[in-house]
Amino acid sequence: MICNDRQACFTASLLISAQLEEKPPAAVMQSEMDPLDPIRGQMIALLPRLRRFAIALTGSVADGDDLVQDTVERALRNLHQWDAGTRLDSWMFRIARNRFIDGRRSARREGAVMMDAPEEAGNAAMDGERAMLSRMTLEDLNAAMKKLPVEQREAVALVLIDGASYREAADLLEVPIGTLTSRIARARESLAAAIGE
Amino acid sequence: MELSRETLDRFVDGELPPKEMERVAEMLAAHPDMNAYVQRQEHLRGELRARFGELDCQVPLRLIEAVRTAPVSWQWRFRTWRERNLTVRRLVPAGAALLLGLVAGVAVRPQADLGANAAGQLVAQGALGRTLDTALASAGAGQIGISFRDKAGRDCRTFSKGESAGLACHQAGTWVVETLARRTVEDDGAAYRMAGSEMPDAVRQAVTASIEGAPYDARAEAQARDRGWSGR
Repeated sequence: MICNDRQACFTASLLISAQLEEKPPAAVMQSEMDPLDPIRGQMIALLPRLRRFAIALTGSVADGDDLVQDTVERALRNLHQWDAGTRLDSWMFRIARNRFIDGRRSARREGAVMMDAPEEAGNAAMDGERAMLSRMTLEDLNAAMKKLPVEQREAVALVLIDGASYREAADLLEVPIGTLTSRIARARESLAAAIGE
Repeated sequence: MELSRETLDRFVDGELPPKEMERVAEMLAAHPDMNAYVQRQEHLRGELRARFGELDCQVPLRLIEAVRTAPVSWQWRFRTWRERNLTVRRLVPAGAALLLGLVAGVAVRPQADLGANAAGQLVAQGALGRTLDTALASAGAGQIGISFRDKAGRDCRTFSKGESAGLACHQAGTWVVETLARRTVEDDGAAYRMAGSEMPDAVRQAVTASIEGAPYDARAEAQARDRGWSGR
């Protein structure tokens, strides 16, 4: 499915899932509504952003989706730890990031080989001219992202991909804003080099 | 390059104040090197947003199902339940009603016939206290039996009220109940006037044990009342 409008696209996928749902979306009295419903609704609306973030972190769609599923399950299981006065998106992004970092740590402890930077032929050889003129593929970008240290990757995911402000990203990652901007600057250099610009 | 890379990055990310954004945009036209850098960075940012944005079309159903069905923290469930059911909005009316009930109950409830004084003695009060103070058996007041002076010099009277009968002696301004007994069914048939023979045994025995001389006649009863049951 090729879609230019993100929201329309995601709405379409929600409609499909609504058809699959057994329970009819009957109008329920406000007082009888499960207080969890609005939160689940917010989480579903958050899925596309969370997914982009997770795929940018892990460098693969499959791993990213697994990370999102893990994040959702963990968020609901620990929902009491979420302060309802704070942003649900920041809290869930933070869970996703911590799960990802924990996962890497335990993989390293177990002696697994980190396959972070697969040198795929073609990507590195892409010349600047082509990069400027043609669309890059997600695989090109993911390959370039995977060469970045995690701190730079998450900064790029939040600011360049998700469109967060420096302030929002710095708060979410719990680093000073100067640290965030220098990470992005270094990531920009590396990405430009990796995709041949 | 006149502007720092940091400033150009901020420009690309829209992080400069509006005035600065305009100024940089104007400068770019005159500086091809800066312009080339900005274009490359905008291209990179644009490609990242576009390619990752396309992923939004493919959110797997399993993720939506996970949000809908994954188990929820029981602590959260409990807290939400508590907040819903014990909200101020619900508690205030309940509290107000309870308080009103207490106030009304205390204000409206007639004083009971029997109470206790500071010394822990059972005292006659309320309607029974008033009857003992004012009613004359000789004038036909139903609840009063006999009146007499006891060996301690107090004015004492026997009384009946509902299922109870007893002996009370006037002491320090109150009627101290010396004996209280349950009336038998036969006593009910005797209406209120309680002559010696109609008293429960316990009351009769108490009278016998404490009386000095004979019970008051009508005149002595009236005199004792007029003295305020002050005894000897």
